[in-house]
Amino acid sequence: MNTVDFKTLLNQKEFILLDGAMGTMIQKSGAHYAHSPETLNITRPELITSFHRAYIEAGADIIYTNTFGANAYKLMDSGFTVEEIISAGVRNAKNACEGTDALVALDIGPIGMLLEPAGALRFEEAYDYYRQQILAGRDADLIVLETMTDLYELKAAVLAAKENSDKPILATMTFERSGRTFTGVSPASAALTLTGLGVDALGVNCSLGPDELEPVVAQMTRYTDLPLIVKANAGLPDPNSNEYSILPDRFAQCVKALLPYGVKLTGGCCGTSPAYIAALKEMLASERFQPCPRSADTCVCSAATVVEINGPRIIGERINPTGKKLFKQALVNNDIDYILTQALSQVSGGAELLDVNVGHPEIDEKQMMVRVLKAIQSVCDAPLQIDSTKPEVLEAGLRCYNGKPIVNSVNGEEKSLATVLPLVKKYGASVVGLTLDENGIPKTAEGRFEIAKRIVERAEALGIDRRDVYIDCLTLTVSAEQDACRETLQALHRVKSELGCKTCLGVSNISFGLPNRELVNSTFLTMALEEGLDLPIINPNIPAMTGAVRAYRVLAGIDRNSLDFIQAYRDASPAVQSAAQSLHSLADAVYHGLKSEAAQATKQQLCDTDPMDIVNQMLIPALDRVGEDFEKNKIFLPQLIQSANTAQACFDVIKQHLSRTGDQSVSKGKIILATVKGDIHDIGKNIVKVLLDNYGYTVVDLGKDVDPQLIVDTAVERNITMIGLSALMTTTLASMEETIRLLRAEPALQNPDGSSKCTVFVGGAVLTKDYAMKIGADFYCRDAKESVDAAKQVLQQ
Amino acid sequence: MIALEALDRREALRYLGGAAVEPNETMTRLMDGCEAQLLRVAQPKYLYRVVDLPCEELTVGEDIRRHLRGCDRAVLLCTTLGASVDRLIRVAQVRDMAEAVVLDSMASVAIEQVCRKADELIAAQFPGCFFTFRFSPGYGDYPIGLQKTFLRLLDAPRRIGLSVSESCLLVPAKSVTAIAGISEHPLERQRRGCAVCNLRKTCQYRRNGEHCGF
Repeated sequence: MNTVDFKTLLNQKEFILLDGAMGTMIQKSGAHYAHSPETLNITRPELITSFHRAYIEAGADIIYTNTFGANAYKLMDSGFTVEEIISAGVRNAKNACEGTDALVALDIGPIGMLLEPAGALRFEEAYDYYRQQILAGRDADLIVLETMTDLYELKAAVLAAKENSDKPILATMTFERSGRTFTGVSPASAALTLTGLGVDALGVNCSLGPDELEPVVAQMTRYTDLPLIVKANAGLPDPNSNEYSILPDRFAQCVKALLPYGVKLTGGCCGTSPAYIAALKEMLASERFQPCPRSADTCVCSAATVVEINGPRIIGERINPTGKKLFKQALVNNDIDYILTQALSQVSGGAELLDVNVGHPEIDEKQMMVRVLKAIQSVCDAPLQIDSTKPEVLEAGLRCYNGKPIVNSVNGEEKSLATVLPLVKKYGASVVGLTLDENGIPKTAEGRFEIAKRIVERAEALGIDRRDVYIDCLTLTVSAEQDACRETLQALHRVKSELGCKTCLGVSNISFGLPNRELVNSTFLTMALEEGLDLPIINPNIPAMTGAVRAYRVLAGIDRNSLDFIQAYRDASPAVQSAAQSLHSLADAVYHGLKSEAAQATKQQLCDTDPMDIVNQMLIPALDRVGEDFEKNKIFLPQLIQSANTAQACFDVIKQHLSRTGDQSVSKGKIILATVKGDIHDIGKNIVKVLLDNYGYTVVDLGKDVDPQLIVDTAVERNITMIGLSALMTTTLASMEETIRLLRAEPALQNPDGSSKCTVFVGGAVLTKDYAMKIGADFYCRDAKESVDAAKQVLQQ
Repeated sequence: MIALEALDRREALRYLGGAAVEPNETMTRLMDGCEAQLLRVAQPKYLYRVVDLPCEELTVGEDIRRHLRGCDRAVLLCTTLGASVDRLIRVAQVRDMAEAVVLDSMASVAIEQVCRKADELIAAQFPGCFFTFRFSPGYGDYPIGLQKTFLRLLDAPRRIGLSVSESCLLVPAKSVTAIAGISEHPLERQRRGCAVCNLRKTCQYRRNGEHCGF
């Protein structure tokens, strides 16, 4: 057993020296291995131990095991198990450390498959891969997670390490010359997220030479108080000779230049050797560690975008079913696209953060929260606020979130403090603290301030920075309690100035029951901003609200030189409302994809035409005409889609009209769509969806990479018998076949005579009609148009 | 590494179906916008490595053996437009599907252009040599499952962020892996016929009585 541990090293040593490259040593030795270099742990243990030994002799305090790629995916065809390779790897390293104080770090690299949303590997599956490695490496002294390019994958690894061991964790990512990783992660997001998750040191490895890492290291250190790690490559490899460009002495000098950023641990990556470690040791002998406290204010982030709360920032409130009929319907129908549209339009409106609340009695809120968070993060970089009253929903959301989120919320009740704050700490989030408790909302500013104080104290006791607690002093309705507004503002002012916390506030409640609510809201917002409001939770698509925040930022001197303000309004000109009668007939407008004209024309038609006649005699024939022209190659696919979207605008007008006049439905029938298991290319399926939607069918879109059983279950639960499947690759056609087989075999989807109730239509690049029939489909649809034809044939009987 | 220039619109239009007509103004505007976005976010990268033949691990099936006949070495190549293009297309699918399909087709054109540039850059490293055309896993009887081997041999996940899913889909999606034979002697001119193409039964070009040109 070692006499020292990592924490002691950290406290006692000026610098901690890591080792250099393992791969380079193996390559230079010419050692032959059949599958991957990790197999040498078993076939050539003495060789691997000798490399470790050379690094220790050169001065390394910590050596990394030869287990970088030792995960179940990469070792699949190696003939060895993860446990065999890793335990041998740790043993070799331990043997090398014999008689020294050097520590052994279990080295873990990326799995080798990309995670959702870009790839198909689920976050939860990634966690399982890492868990296996961490358990196999139980005899190591610490855990190193390195060469990561995806923060999401790294988060899975950190959680796996934290939950399956109590070892110190070092985490490093690899950045490109663009200053980001391959998946677009910024050094700032990495530093914030990893610090929040509670790793022991973080930094950069591999990437570039140390001469090019300054921007990365400088950015990281702004966002963390943790010691930084730099384990750079020896410059760039020559593509022909594979020799690296930076020699040991220069390497050490380049690392020296990075020390002022708080670098405490350093070593070498690709192309380095014991000579580089010796050079580092020599250089460090005459240097002092230079602590570099974080300089950024409190921040939240997604993987790509950091939002520093150093002035008012808008939180979009629209992803919330409360009082929104369409939103509730979308939740019940699993219509994730609807929610994504809300996310994107709020960001265009000016929101920098988005609140996400999917609480609704008819759905499984936990599952939905995970699904929605993952989906929003796949298209939107704004950091998110996870909003639920249920701790289990908060935890599920925190787990799958990529970055540092806000939790909405904790309050002064003991139960809330005891359940929510530990989650905030564990997952490294910020949290909204509501100034209410068992006794309700205190009437006075004093009472709310006291609760705020209590929340902050409890947070700090758990190690949560008070800057990460955003206090909400609660807006009450002014028409009911006129003087309450002043109490809210006073409490806000005191929290800001006396507690040094950030503040947030839902604004719209203030005007409930009054006419001209917008005016009251925006005035209240301005008053609150002046009292120190940092995070207004508003509808960013109301120009007066977003405008109030933007103008305030100019007037308070935050938006220097009014740059953001000018950027936002430079091109704004008063909207010209066209009252003119549409020049086109409804059919023509649909054909040409003229959305607003078509909607206008629909409104006019509704004055004297039956809604269903508009659908059946105008919209559908117009779409048919477009479809025919597409088939004859007279128009291009985007034009077909534009016409379909235009028809959608008309349907919306008709639906609104119908909901005013009665409850009649325009739906022509329900259809399930899914891209089959294993397949993540769903653009074809999405085109089909647009067309079916706009022909008036209700589409239940299960997304991509869909488990066959989920499709069957949905068909049974929702009583849907028309099912469309897409597959792009020959490798995933088997999933399509399996899905059809399960659909046919499900008793609940069979007629009394045992025949199947389901109609299955299929499509996809590699599919042929023969093959479609062979696997038991009813229709082979070459393109989106043919899918509509199939739907018509089946559902209009 | 490789800079993308103007994208071949004719080619993109063919993917979009309407080969019989000229694009109207709407289409042209749509394509202008999509091209600008693609050129802004794409981060084209390529990676290659030369292997000696015969190479058992890589010559699986009749078609590739025929393809590499007469070559003593081969170049393994992979290219990608990077993760940002996938994301761009994903976001467009929420915002505007019409734009999404144009982006998708133009990105397909872009990755082929990147491959052609990579071909030129690699050829310049081998003066006096002759190359076969690029042959990719999934062509003819060449197993799609070899994607994983290609990427491992090229160290592609680490070096250019290109990986493959369990069902052999490349991630990022707008990426290519391929092998081309190298010979010091002139090679019999091959044509990338429809016969070896696994899209031959569903091909848009064939449907329109055309040929993709490979």
